[in-house]
Amino acid sequence: MSILVIQILNSLFYASVLFLIAAGLSLIFGVMRIVNMAHGTLYAVGAYVTAWLMGKAIALGVPLGWLFLLLPVGAGVVALAGFVIEPLLLRPFYRRAEEYQLLVTFGLLLILEDVIRFLWGGMPITADTLQDVVPIMHIGGLVYPGYNLVVIGIGALAAIGLWAGIYRTKFGVMLRATSQDRRMASALGINVGLVYMSAFAIGCFMAGLGGAIIVPSQAAVLGMGVDALILAFVVVVIGGLGSLQGALVGALIVSFVRTAGIQFFPEIELAVLYLIAAIVLLIKPTGLFGNA
Amino acid sequence: MDKPNTVDRRKFLSALGVTVGGVGVAGASLIAPQVVKAATEPAKGKIPDTPYKTGHMTFLTGPAAVLGDPSLKGHIMAAEEINAQGGLLGKRKIETITADEAAGTDANVKELRRMKLEGKIDLFTGVISSGNTPALGPVAEELSLLTMFVDGCTDFLFDVAVPNPKYTFRLTNIQSADGITAAIGAAQAWPQTRKIAHLHPDYSYGRNASEHFTLAIERLLPGTQVVSESWPKLGTTDFTSHITKILSSEPDLLFTSVWGGDYVAWYKQALRYGLFDKMKVATTLAFGVAPHALGKDHPEGVLAGVHSNYHFTYPGGDRWPINKSFVQRYFKRWNEYPNFQSEGSYVTLHMLKAAIERANKLMGGWPDDEMIIGQLEGMGFDTPSGYLYIRPDNHQGYKDAVTGFSKNNPEYPFPTWDQNRIITIPIRNITAPANWPKPGKGHNESTAAANWIKTTWPKSVG
Amino acid sequence: MRWLRERSKVQLAAVAAAVLLLLALLPPFIGVYQTQLLTYGLIAAIAALGFNLLLGYTGLLSFGHSAFFGIGAYTVAFLARDAGIHSMELYILLGLPISALLSALFGYISVRHTRIFFGILTLALSQVLYSLAYKLFWVTGGSDGLRVPRPTLLAGLVSFSGPGSFLRFVNSYYYYVLAVFAVCVVVMWVIVHSPFGKALQAIRDNEVRAAFLGLRISRFRWVAFLISGTFTSLAGILWVPLNGLTTPEILYWPFSGEIVFTALLGGFRNFSGPIVGGIVFTYLKTYAVATTEYWQLLLGVVLVMLILVLPTGIVGAVSRLADRLKAKGKS
Repeated sequence: MSILVIQILNSLFYASVLFLIAAGLSLIFGVMRIVNMAHGTLYAVGAYVTAWLMGKAIALGVPLGWLFLLLPVGAGVVALAGFVIEPLLLRPFYRRAEEYQLLVTFGLLLILEDVIRFLWGGMPITADTLQDVVPIMHIGGLVYPGYNLVVIGIGALAAIGLWAGIYRTKFGVMLRATSQDRRMASALGINVGLVYMSAFAIGCFMAGLGGAIIVPSQAAVLGMGVDALILAFVVVVIGGLGSLQGALVGALIVSFVRTAGIQFFPEIELAVLYLIAAIVLLIKPTGLFGNA
Repeated sequence: MDKPNTVDRRKFLSALGVTVGGVGVAGASLIAPQVVKAATEPAKGKIPDTPYKTGHMTFLTGPAAVLGDPSLKGHIMAAEEINAQGGLLGKRKIETITADEAAGTDANVKELRRMKLEGKIDLFTGVISSGNTPALGPVAEELSLLTMFVDGCTDFLFDVAVPNPKYTFRLTNIQSADGITAAIGAAQAWPQTRKIAHLHPDYSYGRNASEHFTLAIERLLPGTQVVSESWPKLGTTDFTSHITKILSSEPDLLFTSVWGGDYVAWYKQALRYGLFDKMKVATTLAFGVAPHALGKDHPEGVLAGVHSNYHFTYPGGDRWPINKSFVQRYFKRWNEYPNFQSEGSYVTLHMLKAAIERANKLMGGWPDDEMIIGQLEGMGFDTPSGYLYIRPDNHQGYKDAVTGFSKNNPEYPFPTWDQNRIITIPIRNITAPANWPKPGKGHNESTAAANWIKTTWPKSVG
Repeated sequence: MRWLRERSKVQLAAVAAAVLLLLALLPPFIGVYQTQLLTYGLIAAIAALGFNLLLGYTGLLSFGHSAFFGIGAYTVAFLARDAGIHSMELYILLGLPISALLSALFGYISVRHTRIFFGILTLALSQVLYSLAYKLFWVTGGSDGLRVPRPTLLAGLVSFSGPGSFLRFVNSYYYYVLAVFAVCVVVMWVIVHSPFGKALQAIRDNEVRAAFLGLRISRFRWVAFLISGTFTSLAGILWVPLNGLTTPEILYWPFSGEIVFTALLGGFRNFSGPIVGGIVFTYLKTYAVATTEYWQLLLGVVLVMLILVLPTGIVGAVSRLADRLKAKGKS
């Protein structure tokens, strides 16, 4: 029984991080119609920045509880990068075929992977001090790291925050208007350029936050971004590109199926996810919540 | 297959020559055919002073750079040492070009051809992935290029891909020895083990480790059963569900071949799930990465494998001056400690140097590749890890397998081995002997070693 | 396209023949290494040529063409291992129908959609193949891949063994691939200039109008997909003997990315763009990996600059330059 509870918590933990990455990916696509191939690498940047800052802060003797503040800081750095990338690399391509935008972000992926290595080297960077700030919990006869609950909490908050931001604020109205019809939005006096820049930065922030909250429980390692991109892709393919609900449901499906796969069919852990994605695509090619 | 006879386990382990405590002198159990003495005499005949070009391919990018970085450092240090003496035979300075193994098998094949045909390299070395040596070995043979692989230790290379090597050598211990060494270490330390869980990266290395561990443990500890299996993709960093699954199967022992950045992420998570309090843990590669990649939070008492090759703390103290001085020089040069890749690539160049010097002494002048190969075949060499022997039939390096238990030693900022519990096993007792039938020749096991164990090992009792 | 159409067919055939002759004369001058690298380049050109029937002429961006390259390569590997076949001609004859079958299947599923959804669908399907090749360890060798010994050429007339066979193989195989390449170029040229090819372009340029004209759009796309996939798998078939080994890497999505990169580099709006792109990309990646450990960065920068500065690719830029010079010469 306690195993079941823990596996459910594990799945929610994993889903939280996946949701953060996939929601950013979906938001960027929904508003800008760009499939951001560099999204996983931006998640890795968030992880690296956070782990690096945490190392510095611990060396400076910052009280451990304060380290939590570094999580949004790490994500913020990635958002700042988004503010630079959008006008510099993406804006020149809005009038061109969407193939180009896909390829530019593919180029960005290649560049960022090497930038990470140039800045932080090849060794894994850890930040697990933060994990030990939160007490360990006891579930049945087993222990469970309390920090994972913090991650689940942040994932839930992010989902609610994003939903409220899009459906309950003026900015959200502008965002949705722009995503529906760019020209009409522009004619109504919406600063489309600013909306695009903000949407991209928010997407980056989500990815960065995903990296920031996961790094204390794992480690920042080279290649983590490419791995995350694939999973985030599976999530949005299942949930539907451009849909926030889709990202949430997709992240939950992927995490729970993966956990079930690990528990019951270890041999096909990887293949089962692609298979689900392919089946969803066959039945409803726009994903569960998407519309073409 | 004949029904295996049974023997007493303690007798079995002692028949395998297992030594605990690290008191055995490295290599003492092998009869050294030709121990090389350091050459001090000047070279005979006319030696050209053109540079000797080497190509070192290793992981410079991606998750496996944790192994590639030390490999290149060992190579560079050896080249610097040899060049400081004027170069090979005092004349030919070693030049190195590097290539990134992470470019993919296809690109690696192209790059090896470029290095030889355009870069005109004299020696190809390095290579870490066991997926790459079977691709590159045949290419090296068709290019007639002297090749000394440091790692990429799959049995498949000399069992199947290059069954009759001429130009290709490999220095680190063969892969099947890895799983068997871990099995012997575990059986020796925890003979009460009944239930075993497995956690392996889902590619050929993980499969090889799992298969050979299981073959050996079935004979060392009959009656054990596998209660859980997990095959995470290589590069996985979220192990929470795998850990929970392992915990739910309540094993006595977990055997894992997860390595590199994956291992770091894994042990940090396992620690928080209390995994190490609930079971014993045996690994093949926990200490395979650069030592400083692990933290002091790494639990003690884990069977911390080093690919059955080398850990810089063994042979320790003054018992094996070659190692002491190697570790000191390496630390002075790079401000870090070496791993088994550093040692392997360092030894590669020094072994080449010795082979060239011996060939020169016999014939004078600069020896051609055939003569260098003639010297390398059957060569015995004292290395930092102990005595290394290149078996002439398959060009594979053999040295006594070693593994140990993790312990925090105040001297180092990372975990090292418990010096009183280091396990050494004579390699000839855990690997198929020369000319044992290869896969496809009378048996269809995955490796010659697997067939050898199935055919010859008894089952132990008690 | 336009600049090519303006020239007479005779002129064009002459240019093509001259290029072919030049390629045929090259090997003795460039040595064995460059010869084999050029062989890789020609193979990449065939793959890109097939890919571009979809991107350039049908307007569909496939992000899963690694599947077809891979199915060609793995089919050869299975034929060599399980059927004991070692003839290049048999590889091609048996490999093409199998690849065509898979292309037809994937195409049937994918062409119901366009734009980004088409791309994602092809990506997902190719990843299913990748995970199968990776997971079915006992069939595909998993990450170790499958070795393929050198085949005989021309129904066993030319075979390779013994010392120096590698050099002989590289030389003979270059001409073999060059011949197949020439055939591929001609076939593709005929396809895109046939009524079928014109219909594809009409659909690409204006789907609604094409529908009004009575074209069965999805049928056309499906056939285009089938031809495209089969061409790319032919490249995979030719690639294996040169590489000696096939691994799941060539089924993984970054390899699809490389095929896209290739077409773009040369210029997907021109018939010859992917050909130039295939050869140039082969050299670009090889020398990027050889010169710097930051080769990914280098490739990324080249890709981004290319899209920014040379959106029509190398051939597009050169032809525009040529047009401009011609215009100046006239005035």
